[in-house]
Amino acid sequence: MRVVGPLTPADAQALATMNERVKEYVALHVKLERSLPKLPKEATPEQIDKNQRALAKLVLEARAAAKPGDIFTAEARPVIKRLFASVFGGPDGKQLKASIMDENPVTPAAIKLTVNSRYPDTVPLTTVPPQVLQTMPKLSEDLEYRFVGDWLILLDVHAHVIADFIEDVLPK
Amino acid sequence: MRPRHSFSVVLLLLLIWTGAGCRNSGIIAATTAIAATQSPAETPIPLPNKDGSLKFAVLGDFGTGEQPQYQLAEQMAILHGRFKYDFVVLVGDNLYGSERPQDFHKKFELPYKPLLDAGVKFYASLGNHDAREQRFYKSFNMEGKLYYAFSPKPNVRFFAFDSTYPTPEEIQWLEKELAASSSDWKIAFFHHPLYSSGIRHGSDLRLREALEPLFLKYNVSVVLNGHDHFYERVKPQKGIAYFVVGSGGQLRKGNINRRSGMTAVGFDTDLAFMAVEITGNEMYFSVISRLGQTVDSGVLTRRKITR
Repeated sequence: MRVVGPLTPADAQALATMNERVKEYVALHVKLERSLPKLPKEATPEQIDKNQRALAKLVLEARAAAKPGDIFTAEARPVIKRLFASVFGGPDGKQLKASIMDENPVTPAAIKLTVNSRYPDTVPLTTVPPQVLQTMPKLSEDLEYRFVGDWLILLDVHAHVIADFIEDVLPK
Repeated sequence: MRPRHSFSVVLLLLLIWTGAGCRNSGIIAATTAIAATQSPAETPIPLPNKDGSLKFAVLGDFGTGEQPQYQLAEQMAILHGRFKYDFVVLVGDNLYGSERPQDFHKKFELPYKPLLDAGVKFYASLGNHDAREQRFYKSFNMEGKLYYAFSPKPNVRFFAFDSTYPTPEEIQWLEKELAASSSDWKIAFFHHPLYSSGIRHGSDLRLREALEPLFLKYNVSVVLNGHDHFYERVKPQKGIAYFVVGSGGQLRKGNINRRSGMTAVGFDTDLAFMAVEITGNEMYFSVISRLGQTVDSGVLTRRKITR
């Protein structure tokens, strides 16, 4: 369910292209993950850490040339910003933003956030309100939308790697 | 033996004198006043401790690896010697900071070793400080899932929810699970509180909008949360009992807003965990501080709605 109005054909096309990039990323992720021993559902911390770092290494190598915009394409970025402007411009916008900014005082540039790098261990994961998740294109369970400061992050959950980001996505 | 001080006598008298004035809210024995304070250590007040009852503990926001966490863990082990709870429900922020194997050891396995060795199981939900891969950690019993349900007894069902990333699919799953459950007791646990008097965080209104209707519709009696680093028993909201138990390791002293109007009992001067016993239609609870004080206790009845 979308909480904002229908998209224009151009906006829909931009998000469809982004979805294709997401699918390509997930396909790569799955391929790389399959090359590793499967993590048991009842793993030790050593197994979890080893698996995650091994997958991260493979992802980083496979996407060595990755840059911002590879997934959140240039066409999709303004659409997402407009979607967010609609959501956060509504009557609950202030509370939604407060919910995201809770324990999220980070300035992304200050921590030198880069695409295709490990998500910083010292930065807690932001809450992403259900209203925001209802608005954004659906992701597979390998990926999540998160925020660092007011940047939108596409997080590879298993590898703990930042797949892409959009700067200054939250309305001021 | 230390004489029991007057505070405990009052607690006992109130437990005997249950019911008056509080039945509308479902809480039939509220035994402490707001801003419970501690006096020197005393033996925790035992729950009914009946054979065959369901006994568990609740802990949140604990994984610091620092001394206060260990001291509270000692109290949990002491209580387990007298009150054999089977498992601990974790309401998130299970490990702060880095999550290397040695961190799991220092921030979880070592402080709770006596409990783990005694066969006490831990059922985790994830907080905003927790890496998603914790779901695979065997001692958290999540079996690789970010949200799940389990029934330690046929009439009690727990629902672990991932409140940091509540996708539409997860909310649909919760509704389906709640609708399918015929358990007398439905207890939800997750990190972000729908009701909290925390100055730092407070109530998550957007999450409340999504979840509260389900809790009301499907007869959830109790909701256990963390995130705010104190203990708070919220006044029952629309018949549901809400507890904030984010007091397991990293205290946020003086962080309860005393003017919120929501607090039944608040404790924000030291760490604490919650011990719970369910027998029949009643749930007894006792909240124990790092010094071994019982800072809140009482008994509530489960919700009964007809649809």
